[in-house]
Amino acid sequence: MGRSWESMYDFEAFLDDGGIVEVDDDMPDAYRRAVFAFIEMHANSEIMGGLTEREWIPKTPGLRHKMSVLAKTQDEIGHGHLLYMVAADMAVKTRREMLEDLFAGRSKFHNVFHYRAKTWGDQVAISFLVDSAALASQQAVLKNCSYGPYRRILRRIVAEEGFHMRMGEERMMLIAEGTEVQRVMFQQSIDDWWWPSLQLFGPDSKPGDQLLRWHIKSERNEVLRARWVQKYAPLLTSYGFTIPDPGMVHDADAGTWTSGPIDWEPLKRTLAMGGPDSARRIAEAAASWVDTRWVRQALDEAPVGAAA
Amino acid sequence: MTDALRERVRSAVAAVDDPEYPGISITDLGLVEALDVTPDGDVVVGLIPTFSGCPALSMIADDVRSAVADLDGVTTVDVRWLGAPVWTIDRVTDVARATMAREFTVAVRIGREPVSCPRCGSSTMEDSMFGPSRCRAVHVCPSCAEVVEVMRA
Repeated sequence: MGRSWESMYDFEAFLDDGGIVEVDDDMPDAYRRAVFAFIEMHANSEIMGGLTEREWIPKTPGLRHKMSVLAKTQDEIGHGHLLYMVAADMAVKTRREMLEDLFAGRSKFHNVFHYRAKTWGDQVAISFLVDSAALASQQAVLKNCSYGPYRRILRRIVAEEGFHMRMGEERMMLIAEGTEVQRVMFQQSIDDWWWPSLQLFGPDSKPGDQLLRWHIKSERNEVLRARWVQKYAPLLTSYGFTIPDPGMVHDADAGTWTSGPIDWEPLKRTLAMGGPDSARRIAEAAASWVDTRWVRQALDEAPVGAAA
Repeated sequence: MTDALRERVRSAVAAVDDPEYPGISITDLGLVEALDVTPDGDVVVGLIPTFSGCPALSMIADDVRSAVADLDGVTTVDVRWLGAPVWTIDRVTDVARATMAREFTVAVRIGREPVSCPRCGSSTMEDSMFGPSRCRAVHVCPSCAEVVEVMRA
């Protein structure tokens, strides 16, 4: 057994001093549950994101993009794997329970994976807008994360997501500098994906947000969201695309871009599994689990040492 | 003269990091196989990929090209992916191994030697032969429960 704390007050003082919690510490139950839920949702989102990416392996235009889609699929599923291991060590749910909950639609994953990617333009928007939003929130967690095992996994995940981000930028520039047909396709994708990407940051953080207090998140949702808008609105505009936000304010003198009013209804709906593609996504994920049963069986039944 | 230029090119290439491992240079990962510099400043860099299907190849080549192109005395840069020799895990230097263990809790495994947990030094156990990339497996440390990625051939 690792360290223990007399009271929540002592524990929080430890965290405020930059203390890092390890798996064998006697952490307060509320902290354990909050951190577990956060990591489980991250893991679920990696799996759902990887499966989205996988759908595009046979449809991706060009060998080079196909290689990056293949690698990204393996990356995301691999990240999910590592995160499930870290989450399972917290002894709230087993790895299998987490997967079963995901495939039964009982647990949460990011809103963006409740929508369907209908065109290659959508895939480009995902790798440019969704990935950048996800990376920004992960970087903010990594900066000050008090749970050691998660922090160390995030260090690698953030490095790899940074690599995906470069692929996303490459895909975006290629389509932005492409034919008129490609540009029209991509504008449609921006129109469809701008708001879900922005809502990935979530609504404004509440005062007394536990994840902020316990140094899991290091910045408020609205701060991260505003910074992302400030970067991506001018970038897309500079390529001649429009942002589907009639209330957006661009102050040319100050160089600031500020979102108009945000309708949070779509986010609430998607997180309650009522998104436009939630049912199909979950069914596909559950089917992939059933379809790969033979692989798990073969690995389980392999002679000891054969896979060493 | 050429020697001085060659040395500058060599250190510029050595400063190029792997896109998936910031802080670890492609030279220390054993990707740089050949470096030719003529007195006229024509540079040829020969690289070998860890895996031929690696999605980072064009990005790495771009990074090498831009690291070398602006050096004083460089006229042309040609970055090539070579078909031979094949990359092997023992090309990873001790410097890269130490950084991977310290910064990323990634262990490098040569052949079938036991893997030490980068955190506590105990021998790890394999959780899956498949990890987030073609060159990595996933292990777990039975002693401190750390999840360890293992780079292997």
